[in-house]
Amino acid sequence: MNFLRSSSALRLNTASIIKRGLASAPEAKPVNNKTFKIYRWSPDHPNEKPTLQEYKVDLNQCGPMVLDALIKIKNEQDPTLTFRRSCREGICGSCAMNIGGRNTLACLCRIDTNVSSETKIYPLPHMFVVKDLVPDLTHFYKQYKSIQPYLQRDTVPEDGKENLQSIADRKKLDGLYECILCACCSTSCPSYWWNQQEYLGPAVLMQAYRWLIDSRDQASGIRKEMLENSMSMYRCHTILNCTKTCPKGLNPGRAIAEIKKQLAFQ
Amino acid sequence: MARLSGLQKEVLKLYRQCLRNTFKKPVENQANFRNYIKGEFAKYTDLQKKEFSTIEYLLRNGHKKMEMMSNDSIKNIK
Amino acid sequence: MSPLTRIGLTPIRTQFTRSALLSQRFFQTSSTQRFDIPFLKQIPQPPGYVVGNVNDAYIPPHASKTHGSLHWTTERLIAIGLVPLTVVPFVTGSFAPVLDAVLSVTILAHSWIGFQACIIDYVQKRVYGSAHDYAIYLLSFGTVIAGLGIYNLEANDVGLTGLIAKVASAKKEESK
Repeated sequence: MNFLRSSSALRLNTASIIKRGLASAPEAKPVNNKTFKIYRWSPDHPNEKPTLQEYKVDLNQCGPMVLDALIKIKNEQDPTLTFRRSCREGICGSCAMNIGGRNTLACLCRIDTNVSSETKIYPLPHMFVVKDLVPDLTHFYKQYKSIQPYLQRDTVPEDGKENLQSIADRKKLDGLYECILCACCSTSCPSYWWNQQEYLGPAVLMQAYRWLIDSRDQASGIRKEMLENSMSMYRCHTILNCTKTCPKGLNPGRAIAEIKKQLAFQ
Repeated sequence: MARLSGLQKEVLKLYRQCLRNTFKKPVENQANFRNYIKGEFAKYTDLQKKEFSTIEYLLRNGHKKMEMMSNDSIKNIK
Repeated sequence: MSPLTRIGLTPIRTQFTRSALLSQRFFQTSSTQRFDIPFLKQIPQPPGYVVGNVNDAYIPPHASKTHGSLHWTTERLIAIGLVPLTVVPFVTGSFAPVLDAVLSVTILAHSWIGFQACIIDYVQKRVYGSAHDYAIYLLSFGTVIAGLGIYNLEANDVGLTGLIAKVASAKKEESK
């Protein structure tokens, strides 16, 4: 009984707070303009040089993430601004871009609330630009395809249904399967900048490792063979920009080191 | 004729490839494809020779477009 | 330099200082930037680096263990081996000709592998063609010369450790 009364009192209380909050909203939130400088280039005018365009966004009228600001700019100020986005929660990897000098997902990157400094947004570095913040990832996906990212087996499981795996074996895939292939790590890697035609890059190599240590996969011989040359993997000089920049907190540097170890001790 | 630079050769190569691909299209529509290709290339005839990045971009785009258009299911173009 | 090119340079510089070296065309639309060597002729790259169909998988270079895992293992062994080889003469203060010869040869091998990695990284075969081979030849030539120098130093002179000791003592006397 006591409890019931107190909870109803609480409800009343919150209702009054909301009421008061709504009434006083306009005074409580002054305009807090933050400047964004965004890379612009349009394929419709290919002979014009790319520029940085300035946009001002009121942070009090905007969500906390950079993607919110971008969407707000696109909705309210400039509908021609182009960028990829989909899930707005860091699970699709579409909105990878270079924000304030760091490759990250716009949806996982908080807006720097220091209004005196501007935030610069560029597409992923060293990629061909399709438009504005949209990079061309064709070659990246071709590289991903080349490591054969699917289960390869000669035998069918005994029960004819599924390939079973022990809990310990499944644990090995943690920290690898979460990769969303946003290409943040690959495009932050200087080795990938200079040799992206031939060097696979951290994202793809981490997936190569993911399939290499999968206990259900039986093609590890071919998988290792593919990396046995000076370019595909050994252009990694453990710069570790990949690990530093990964917006999902994964460690591609470690995965590459593990492949090198496997190849050295096989 | 002056010696062509590598980029200019690439452009000519793409142009020839595009025109050659038209022969795989139905005979009655080949002229349409040729017109389209010539129009696309003519758009940028006044581009300066030194604008490498622009020309490289157009080449990339051109190759992509050519690959798309050379699909057998595309029979005509307007 | 136009203001635009400077615009392209700034954000990168904050994260990766090495890029500040790059040429003016940084962050342009069509070419991803390489460290261009100005006087060497370049082989034009396929547009967008796409070889074949957009849906084809990328084809890796030919597999070879000597360029892959064996190369890497030697590289690591040499690097690890250098640690005791450098520390021992310092700690013991003694001079053993064999140890000294091994040290000098390992340093030579280490720098050879290091420079080779630089050449593979920056004077790529796919971009510079035969210039890559010439760079490798030049490196091998330099290594052979250095090897002869080491032989001379070890056989007829004081050896590497001795040389360093000599230089150090000369400097001490100078400062006195």
